[in-house]
Amino acid sequence: MNKEAPLSITERDFILNALREDVRLDGREADQLRPLKVSFGEEYGHVKVQLGRTSLIVRISAEVTKPHDDRPFDGLFTIAMELTAMGSPAWDNGRQGDLETYVTNVLDRVVRHSNALDTESLCILKGVSCWSIRADVHVTDYDGNLIDAACIGIMAGLQHFRRQDAVVKDGQVIVYGLDERVPVALNITHKPLSVTFHTFDEGKRVIIDATRKEEQASEADVVIGINNAGDVCFVSKFSGSPVDAMVFVDKTSVALEKVKEINAIIDKALQADLSKRAKNGMAEQSRAENDR
Amino acid sequence: MSSPLVLLPGDEVPSEYLPATNSAPLRLGPGLRLLTQPPSSSPSSSSPSHVLTATQAGILSTDNKRNAVSIFSSPNRRYIPTPNDLVIAQVHHSSQDYFHCMITPQTPHVVLGQLAFEGATKKTRPMLKQGDLVYARVLSVGLGAGAEIELTCVNPATGKAEPGGLGHLTGGMVFDISTGMAARLMRASSSSSDQQDGVAGLVVLDELGKKLEKAGGFEIAVGRNGKVWVDCSNGGDAAVKATVAIGRCLTTIDEHDLGPADQKKLVSRILREMKIDV
Amino acid sequence: MVGPAATLTPLARADGSASYQCPSTGSNILGSVNAPVELPGRRDALKPEEATVEVFVKPGTAPAGVGERYVEGIIKGVLGRLILGRERGYPRRGVVVTLATVGGDSVGRGDSYLTLLPALLHTALLALLSASVPLSMTFSATVLAVSDSGEIIREPSTEQAAAAKSLHVLAFSSKGHLLLNESQGAFDFETWEKVHQRALAICHGTSAIGSDGDVAMVEDVDGQPLEGTIRETIEDQVHRDYAWKIDAV
Repeated sequence: MNKEAPLSITERDFILNALREDVRLDGREADQLRPLKVSFGEEYGHVKVQLGRTSLIVRISAEVTKPHDDRPFDGLFTIAMELTAMGSPAWDNGRQGDLETYVTNVLDRVVRHSNALDTESLCILKGVSCWSIRADVHVTDYDGNLIDAACIGIMAGLQHFRRQDAVVKDGQVIVYGLDERVPVALNITHKPLSVTFHTFDEGKRVIIDATRKEEQASEADVVIGINNAGDVCFVSKFSGSPVDAMVFVDKTSVALEKVKEINAIIDKALQADLSKRAKNGMAEQSRAENDR
Repeated sequence: MSSPLVLLPGDEVPSEYLPATNSAPLRLGPGLRLLTQPPSSSPSSSSPSHVLTATQAGILSTDNKRNAVSIFSSPNRRYIPTPNDLVIAQVHHSSQDYFHCMITPQTPHVVLGQLAFEGATKKTRPMLKQGDLVYARVLSVGLGAGAEIELTCVNPATGKAEPGGLGHLTGGMVFDISTGMAARLMRASSSSSDQQDGVAGLVVLDELGKKLEKAGGFEIAVGRNGKVWVDCSNGGDAAVKATVAIGRCLTTIDEHDLGPADQKKLVSRILREMKIDV
Repeated sequence: MVGPAATLTPLARADGSASYQCPSTGSNILGSVNAPVELPGRRDALKPEEATVEVFVKPGTAPAGVGERYVEGIIKGVLGRLILGRERGYPRRGVVVTLATVGGDSVGRGDSYLTLLPALLHTALLALLSASVPLSMTFSATVLAVSDSGEIIREPSTEQAAAAKSLHVLAFSSKGHLLLNESQGAFDFETWEKVHQRALAICHGTSAIGSDGDVAMVEDVDGQPLEGTIRETIEDQVHRDYAWKIDAV
């Protein structure tokens, strides 16, 4: 079917009427995110994002390949997102829907085209070998705002990921295992995130982090990609009814505030994971010493 | 019954768990099937030639009064239409004689006769549009492949909307809940509330009823297909907030499996958050 | 040996789901089942009298390829024998099973999928139970590697599997019947018989083997039979789901 079931008139009317009274179905404010939880798995670059009832898993992986002929100094970076029936019964396995195309496109622009990951640092040997970084997004539960959740997952994953060390010796590329040499963090130039707004009531009501039902009831959506420094790297309004230009201006400051808030949550999770790993590493070291 | 018996598909139902035999035939509910055992397996024992086996994982539930036995399986499962169930259906389109409705997403539409409403005639039939909600009863599910499921909003025997409330649902809001929660709410809202701990472990409706009395009370309709319709149109200014509060209470209890004490706490907390005076 | 860790119904949108952590390979599989649903655009493939089972396997860090399609076929065959596709509500509908490797090593391109197969099968089974799809029985599966020296290794690591002479995946129904037998590599009948015995012991415990008492020690090595682990997982979940009912009794 590849399409979520349409909303009933009752739901559509109620969501709109409630918003006119500044009430959302889950009791949130218009500018309030759902509870966000970012956690990391055992491997590097394994992230689980839970945003309200939307959840997804991002896995970052790296392999050595040959760079593109026209960009011999650049490594590769791809974002792979395939929506399966796991995230929502409305999605078909093995078929690309409109949502998948749209979300992949936005993620590409916010994260990849803004050069969040410095691809030049992925070059190992000019024109011969480079790292190819791949971010796989597995959507496990879909309840709206896929773009922001995926963006959070990818950015957290890139910051968490450590690739194997590789050196060039006499024209030969040597890749060291994760236990042979300290793995290398990726070079992140800045941390852009997207914030998606949905408009209602002829553009008079604007909310962030809409749930699936709110998305379906909305008139239009606006995506703003922005980093902590306030540099806007992406703005889009693909479909739906017109939105006043002032909304973009007003909401950019809201987006900045939210991006700072989200980045702080990611940083905190990264710090917690790092200290946990350090502790485990110490324990392992002392165990190894004891064995001797 | 001492402790509940958990069965997995393929497990036999031990005969001591079946209701004491009386004259009425045993009724099999969902999740069970009758198999004929090959007689040659153990000729010495006097085992019956028929065995009851489970087809779903869950708790064995027996009803001595109705002489029925069934399996209570996962509460998050998808709804499968069963005759006599009350459901909340959404009109998708209408044709000459029928409204074609959706009761669960990603499944074929079910039909509801244009005249299957209380007092409906060819001239006074209800005009339902796409997206309208109706509270209806499953009339028949048909047999065999390609059979259509039919709903009705009247009791065919009496021509009345029985129980009251069947028909077009106007206003209010509908919330999604699990099918297990829907079944529990159904029991809790249909029986009298004289029990201490509530019915089916739910005290939320009584609690909300007490606290929202001043705000005008509320109406509720539970569909076995995992939908619950709530309306507080008597609530005046607080109607929207009260509706949202009820919806949040029900979905949170469903999601976190809260016990009676936690349900009461949750009701108070959410009403406070929504700034509703009690 | 540590048994697998499994959770039932971790997801909200899917009709049924399960998460499964395999201790030996470290892989973490997430599975979902949607059933019964309409399968649009596949009308001609639908059987009029029963349900159509669809299996989709998604690797963790790579695009799906031939290996996934191959293993999907095996899983579909096993599940097709279990699912009672003629029960009410199921004919002409689809049972959509989606399995994703969300943690641990993925199977490399061209590598054998057999090491991951039992985990995928168990996840699919648990997700089907979570969705209350009618089944005729349950099953348990295991993978065994036979090393060069003829030693049988239970649930081998990736390195052990790569070095093994042959790999075998066997699944037994809850009634003890052999449900699946996938092997690769070189082996003789005698080896297979040994593998079969050991697998049966792992899945069902030694009692299932019969009267010849000399395999009694195997049970200690393999710990609790897998059949029991699966049953416990389900019982735990059922007790949680129906706590309100059980407490009332």
